[in-house]
Amino acid sequence: MERDEFTLVRDMLRAFATRFRTGSADDVKAQTRADAQRALDDLGLTGLRRTSPPAATVQECALLAEEHGRQPLTTSLLGTALLAPELLRLLDDGERADPVHGDRPTVALAGDLRFPDPDAVGLVAWDCDGADTALFVHAEGRVTEHELGAPAPTADLLRGVRRASAEGRPVGRLTPGAHRSWQAYALVVVASELVGAARSFVGQSVDYARERQQYGQPIGSFQAVQHQLADATVLVEACTSAARYAAWCLDSETPDRALTAARVAKAEVNSSAVEAVYAGMQVFGGIAQTWEHVAHLYLRRVLVGATALATTADLLTVLAAPEATR
Amino acid sequence: MKGPTRTLDPDFGLTFSMFYISAVGKGVPAVDFELTEDQETIRKAVAGLLRDFDDRYWMEKDRDHAFPEEFYAAVADGGWLGITIPEEHGGHGLGITEATLLLEEVARSGGGMNAASAIHMSIFGMHPVVVHGSDELKRRTLPRIARGDLHVCFGVTEPGAGLDTTSITTYARRAGDHYVVSGRKVWISKALESEKILLLTRTARRDEVEKPTDGMTLFLTDLDRDRVDIRPIPKMGRNAVSSNEVFIDDLRVPVEDRVGEEGQGFRYLLDGLNPERMLIAAEALGIGRVALDRAVRYGREREVFGRPIGMNQGIQFPLADALAHLDAAELVLRKATWLYDQGRPCGREANTAKYLCADAGFTAADRALQTHGGMGYSEEYPVARFFREARLMRIAPVSQEMVLNYLGSHTLGLPRSY
Ligand SMILES: Cc1cc2nc3c(=O)[nH]c(=O)nc-3n(C[C@H](O)[C@H](O)[C@H](O)COP(=O)(O)OP(=O)(O)OC[C@H]3O[C@@H](n4cnc5c(N)ncnc54)[C@H](O)[C@@H]3O)c2cc1C
Repeated sequence: MERDEFTLVRDMLRAFATRFRTGSADDVKAQTRADAQRALDDLGLTGLRRTSPPAATVQECALLAEEHGRQPLTTSLLGTALLAPELLRLLDDGERADPVHGDRPTVALAGDLRFPDPDAVGLVAWDCDGADTALFVHAEGRVTEHELGAPAPTADLLRGVRRASAEGRPVGRLTPGAHRSWQAYALVVVASELVGAARSFVGQSVDYARERQQYGQPIGSFQAVQHQLADATVLVEACTSAARYAAWCLDSETPDRALTAARVAKAEVNSSAVEAVYAGMQVFGGIAQTWEHVAHLYLRRVLVGATALATTADLLTVLAAPEATR
Repeated sequence: MKGPTRTLDPDFGLTFSMFYISAVGKGVPAVDFELTEDQETIRKAVAGLLRDFDDRYWMEKDRDHAFPEEFYAAVADGGWLGITIPEEHGGHGLGITEATLLLEEVARSGGGMNAASAIHMSIFGMHPVVVHGSDELKRRTLPRIARGDLHVCFGVTEPGAGLDTTSITTYARRAGDHYVVSGRKVWISKALESEKILLLTRTARRDEVEKPTDGMTLFLTDLDRDRVDIRPIPKMGRNAVSSNEVFIDDLRVPVEDRVGEEGQGFRYLLDGLNPERMLIAAEALGIGRVALDRAVRYGREREVFGRPIGMNQGIQFPLADALAHLDAAELVLRKATWLYDQGRPCGREANTAKYLCADAGFTAADRALQTHGGMGYSEEYPVARFFREARLMRIAPVSQEMVLNYLGSHTLGLPRSY
């Protein structure tokens, strides 16, 4: 996208996010969720990469995912506007058998929210607000479309997760290269949203450390607080760089290299984003332990996010293997 | 003052019964964290004895790679070397609790691992000989160890057998009334300075025995320089005591130098493993304590930005954190030695103590170095030396990873991973 154009899109998303952010866990209601999703849908972001060549780069999509992660939002940007459309785009490189029935699909994952292994059972549709069906990429690259079922339990109070029908309609098959690109893209987008969450939460705790007075001075003047925040900032920078580099790789490198970079990024984010949010929570003190405070919304997002698609153990095991066998 | 003598309380068993409720409801404290008077005496006496061996002394010995003869003589003359050797063989027959207190204090005196390693083998290394050696072998060696005129080293590790001890290949072939030993050992501390070596060999190859731990035989024998070539290994720290490559070429070892029975050597070493871990833990603890003391002193004295650096939480908290970890590690060590002296199982505690003390000691030394800023890197202050020495404790004689292997499989019952 042109620079101005992208800035415009990002500012729209930012304005939306500020308006529809969840102020507290008790505000999460069916009606507010639906209103927020409708407002997001109105931004028309599903078509960002539907043209050929795509209008938006992966880097731009990743920045939008970061932006979305900055606020506690219930809306499905990742599932319905970024992941499912990209999957359909990649399918066009392979065998696109049948049209998709849903108007607004999201993606389905294995029951534990990870990429499926060959004998995965119990699918869930992930990031479902506003979605009507879910697309599932099987371990060997086949893609099927599934109906949405009852809500599934998840610790992330903001993310809509529902059961998905076991049987799916065939939609097509990803080529091996497209499958790698798909995994890389999914890892990057999910990692980017977590980066946004960690960055924003650490930022909020820095603000709090400036304001909150104890012993007659801002708590941020105590080195023990200051240094924790400095360390957290280093962690946020590390995972930001890793995620943005992986996004760049998707725009500029082979699918293999992009997938490696995306795995590194997700592994970095899995630990750093969680650590950074822990640090931020420590700085908020007791207030962060309350239900009303947004801290646990961020914590839940990064904790569940750190296990989504691929856990650190999954990633490090693959990264430790010789390149040729990954 | 002289070392412990026969006049000490014969019932040296510790009243350190903090984990066992002794007399609840009788107005007696259920938990007693005090050392006994005799143990307190050991501490003070050792500290007093070593006061004269200052930072300069250790700095020079370390720099010059010179064995600390004067220190060794002072400890020997004080009667401390035989602290755990039975009385009938010229020692004091005290427990591991006392031995750990001694080594902790020795490391803490500022001598660190240079001091501890100079005497480590004498303090407890003869355990397999005490328990399994023949009377004749004991009579020949133990009194000399206690007096200090017999230096011994311990030869287990080989180039191809580090932690995996049963892979050693140094071979002892029986030939009439003696054995002929050939092989190569590595890392053998104090070999250069030693008259004898407590040597682990194979008398049957690993592929000839049912269990890999079978077929290993232990000797306490002379390091005959005509048959044994000893070459010091340049190393990162603890340089007052050498660690060496030892090339053994047809060394004749009389049968009388065999410790216990042929083929049982590995089992004899196992007996000593837990107390060995406790001693190492005590040394790591001592070095952590002295590093922390020096850091605190420096933190009070050094002024930057118009105030003592110790006034910054960025300096103070890491030191306070190091203190908390040292204190916690010490408690586990005390529990471990108490259990051992009571004859109770203590594998879990011994391993945990080694693990926690090695980490706490190293972390304290690392923070002490940081506290000293640029000066920490200079050899003018002892913290760089403490840092180099404390690092060793996470590797030898058993690495932190192997401790976790022990806890994972033996204590937690998870499947063995290797
Ligand atoms: C200064 C110094 C003095 C020494 N003095 C003596 C001495 O007097 N006598 C003597 O006999 N030896 C001595 N040693 C040797 C010491 O005991 C060994 O270095 C130690 O046992 C580690 O063995 P290694 O160095 O061969 O490491 P290795 O066994 O090669 O291990 C290398 C690394 O792999 C890890 N590792 C190995 N196996 C496993 C596993 N199963 N699971 C997880 N991690 C594993 C280890 O933890 C370590 O990090 C000394 C060593 C030093 C450095």
